[in-house]
Amino acid sequence: MSKGEFAVIGTGQVPHGNYPERSEFEIAYRVAKQAIDDAGIDKDEIGAVIGAAHIMGDSYNTEMFFGRLPELIGARNCKITASTISGGASSFSLRKTVEGILASGETDTVLVVHAQRFSQFSVNQMATFFAKAGSDPEWDVPYGMTYNALAAMCTQAYLENTGTTIEQVAAVCVTLRKWAMLQPNAMFNTKELTVEKVLNSTMVASPLTSLMCNVLADGGSAYVMTTAEKARRVCPTPVYVLADASEYSHRSITTPRVKDFTEIGDLATIASRAYERAGLGPEDMDIFEIYASYPSVTLMLMDALRIAKPGESGQLVADGKCDPGGPFPISTNGEAMGMGHTGTGVGFGVFVESVRQLQGKAGRAQVDGARFLIENCGGGAFMDCHFTVLGTEVPGA
Amino acid sequence: MDPAMIEMLGLSDTDLVKPEPEPTQWSAPFWKAARQHRLLLRRCSSCGTHQHPPYPSCVECSEESFEWVDAVGTATLYAYTVNQFAVPFAFWDDMPYVTAIVELAEGVRMISNIVECDDGVLHTGMDLEVVFDDVSDRFTLPKWRPARQEAR
Repeated sequence: MSKGEFAVIGTGQVPHGNYPERSEFEIAYRVAKQAIDDAGIDKDEIGAVIGAAHIMGDSYNTEMFFGRLPELIGARNCKITASTISGGASSFSLRKTVEGILASGETDTVLVVHAQRFSQFSVNQMATFFAKAGSDPEWDVPYGMTYNALAAMCTQAYLENTGTTIEQVAAVCVTLRKWAMLQPNAMFNTKELTVEKVLNSTMVASPLTSLMCNVLADGGSAYVMTTAEKARRVCPTPVYVLADASEYSHRSITTPRVKDFTEIGDLATIASRAYERAGLGPEDMDIFEIYASYPSVTLMLMDALRIAKPGESGQLVADGKCDPGGPFPISTNGEAMGMGHTGTGVGFGVFVESVRQLQGKAGRAQVDGARFLIENCGGGAFMDCHFTVLGTEVPGA
Repeated sequence: MDPAMIEMLGLSDTDLVKPEPEPTQWSAPFWKAARQHRLLLRRCSSCGTHQHPPYPSCVECSEESFEWVDAVGTATLYAYTVNQFAVPFAFWDDMPYVTAIVELAEGVRMISNIVECDDGVLHTGMDLEVVFDDVSDRFTLPKWRPARQEAR
């Protein structure tokens, strides 16, 4: 990929939360239609439809695998359809799939769709599934491991290694809620949080309380991606993919490539590589669209992104510097803590929010004059990390 | 678990059975030895690296020949959490319980439980020794407790 070769020109999104009556097909249809309208194109321009697989397999996946989506949205000139999944990192693997299709020249317009309905499953089905999502079925799950326990251990190690306090971790939740309050599609957008409220909520897995743990949600988003050439022709506010950088670390949290939990994996090196490839640095970023799922992981990613000195990110958030109106906006849709956890959709939602910010379409959460931002995603038991720099222009072009 | 809660959640008996390991052809000797209260690790015959979890080939040098060796049975605590809510229902009655990342003397890490230990004395780097918990007729899980010189 060369810098700024591809661009996103439109997005769609439905409200996130508990919507058991809304099928994945309905979500997929609505978000696709919105994205097509927002992009200002005709559905018959779409040459490929790529879907994010549902993280708990069901009939939606089967239908998607066998070509339902293009037909559902009436993409009569579709040439390619496929599903892509890499857990929480799906927004990245989806986008790389799209870039490959665009680079092939078979089409210059691709629609990407995510739809999720967790509310169809019982509490026990979800508990059982998510115990295995972050933990090895043979070596971890028999010990009563949970996803929250995994994040709790990483939090405990991070606090101990950096001197960050649990109050600062709670402050991340408060900041994310402030952003979510500005988002009409967020699951948690009505009640403000305080550090005390977060700390005093039910202890789940020490040091994580219930308000530091995300909850599963129904939801979905979509976007239209095209070549830079077409984007300039059809869209007044294209958002260019400037650079990205990736690393895979491990399956189980016991076998990470970097054994020190000050960060999980060598996040700082990956972030630096993304900045360098974009020809930009942290000082050029107007927003840091972080997908962490857990508030301590937000801090690890902030350390890696060089927003503050390593280990000082907690203080920065506690000082309100990352709040709406502050100098270092983070996760402006509130990510998993604000939108709810939509499986493969949290990173997808962060990407869509990134595009909206750069298109000036982020509503009350809009960061004025945003030109460049960096976003990330990762999946499994913090198995990988992908940073992407996006911009309203291509530096040096 | 409270019967009223079991009914409210619509749980069946199988929902309350703890998951057991499903050994692979590469890991079966580990579980067989654990049953006899021995902690075995797989060591690459070529480069000498201890491997956990076991895979078909050495993750360092790709050789496929291994030997099973006795671990010394000591470890240090790398990270831990006390589980107090929202665990899988089969583990509900065990709360609070500690899950942890332990680093064995041989350098490999495992997820395990810390047992026979007050939560208040847990600290990163504490010395641990292995104990064996016969969790069912089929499986024994190696777990860890504070080493003798550590306060329990």
